Amino acid sequence: MIDIKKEIQQDRRAFIKKVLGGTIAGSLLLVIPATAQEVAEEIPGMRAEDSVFTKKKFVFIVDITACIGCGSCCVADKAEYNVPDHNYRTWVERYIIDDHDGVYVDSPNGGLDGYTKPREGLPYPTRDTFFVPKLCNMCEDPSCVQVCPVGATYKTNDGFVLVDKTRCVGCSYCIQACPYSVRFINPVTRTAEKCTWCYHRVRKGLLPACVSVCPVHARKFGDLSDKTSEVWKILHEPHVISVLKPDMGNKPALHYLGLRREVV
Amino acid sequence: MHSESKTKYYSHLVKLIIAMIVLGVAGFFARQLFSPESMGEYGHYRGADIEDQKNVPVRLQTNESCFQCHKPVRRIHKKGVHKSVSCEVCHGPYADHVKDGKKIGMLPVKKGKEITHLCLRCHNKVIQARPRTSIKMVGMPEHLQEKKVRIENTCDQCHMVHDPLLWINQAKEMIGIKEEM
Repeated sequence: MIDIKKEIQQDRRAFIKKVLGGTIAGSLLLVIPATAQEVAEEIPGMRAEDSVFTKKKFVFIVDITACIGCGSCCVADKAEYNVPDHNYRTWVERYIIDDHDGVYVDSPNGGLDGYTKPREGLPYPTRDTFFVPKLCNMCEDPSCVQVCPVGATYKTNDGFVLVDKTRCVGCSYCIQACPYSVRFINPVTRTAEKCTWCYHRVRKGLLPACVSVCPVHARKFGDLSDKTSEVWKILHEPHVISVLKPDMGNKPALHYLGLRREVV
Repeated sequence: MHSESKTKYYSHLVKLIIAMIVLGVAGFFARQLFSPESMGEYGHYRGADIEDQKNVPVRLQTNESCFQCHKPVRRIHKKGVHKSVSCEVCHGPYADHVKDGKKIGMLPVKKGKEITHLCLRCHNKVIQARPRTSIKMVGMPEHLQEKKVRIENTCDQCHMVHDPLLWINQAKEMIGIKEEM
C-alpha cells in the first residue's frame, strides 16, 4: 500500500512538473517571438554570390502593354528610400497621342497618387494612349559617370550605376548629363540621388521594390546570363523591344516592351 | 653677346624646376592624405562604397513576409484574384511594423473613402491609358447605380478587399445564380 501511494505521489509530482514545464515553455514561446524566417530567394543563385561584384548581367524590362498606371511602383519606391516629396526615383508618365499625331504627356505627382482624372481639353480624338514607367536606365556607357568630377558616381563591374553619398559634392553635373533625367539633388542630404535598381535588395536576393509590388507584372528584372530567366527569353525572342533615346549611344540596360516611337 | 647672356642666367630655370618638384611631391602626399582609403580600388571611385550600398536597409519585404504572421489573411489573399497585389502598397512598409522579428508599430488602417481611392488606382474606367483586357474596370457612380446600391457606398461594403469576389461568389451560390460576373 505504502509503495503504491508513494508511486502515485511520485507520478503526481512528475505530472505537475510536466504540466508546469509545458505551461512555462508555451508562454515563453508567446513572449519571445519566433525569429522571422528569411524569405525565399527571388533571384536564383544570388545569395551564393560572395565576391565584390556578381557574375551576373542584370536587365530591367518594362512592359508598356501591361502597365495599368496604378502607381504602386512609385509608392513602393518612396517607402523603400523615404524619398523627399516632389522628388522621384521612379515615376509613371501618361502618353496620349491624338489622330493628328499630337503627343500629350502628363505625370501628376509622378504617378505617386495614381491617375484619378482623364485628360481633358484635347483638340482631337485620341488615337493611342498608354503609361510609361521611367527609372534609371543603367547605361553601359553612362554620361553621369563620365562627368562626375569627384568620382562619386561610378559603374560597378556587374553594371549598376551608383552614387557614393560620402563623395558627392552636389555639383549637379550628372543631373545635366543624364539623357533620361532620372537624377535629382536630395534636398535633405544635398547629394545627387537616383534609382539604383534596388542594389541593396538585389544583393540580398530580393527583387527591386517596384518589381515585387507590380500587380500586373509590367516590370521585370532578371539575369541575362541565365538562359532560363524570363528576361533572357523576352530579349531573345521576337517582341517589340526598344530602349529610350538609342541615338544618345548610352546603351541602356533598361528595355521597353511595346514602346512607341513617340516616347522620349 | 646674345649667347653669353643665355649661358649666364639659368638660375630662374633651376628655381622653377625645384618649385615644380616640391609642388608635385606635396601634391602627391596631399592626395594620399585627402583621398579615401579605398579610392581607386576597382576604378575611379571609393571601393568601400559597394559595401555601404549593400547595407542600405531593406524597408519593403514580400507578401510572404507578412503572411508569416497574418495567417488568416494569407488563406484568403493567396486564393483570390488579388493575389498579385502587394500588401505593403495599401498597408505601408514592413519596416515600419516589424523590426528584428518584433512588432514596433501599427500600420495605419484604411477606412471608407480611402479604400475606394485605393481600389480606383487600378480599377478606374475613366483612365483610358489602361490596357482594356488585363483587369476589371469600373466607372464609379455607374457601377453603384447599376448594382442598385447607395451612391455613397464604399467598395469594401460589397467586396472583400483581399479577395474582391469572395463574398460576391458566396452570395451568388447561396441564392443560386449561375451566370458569370
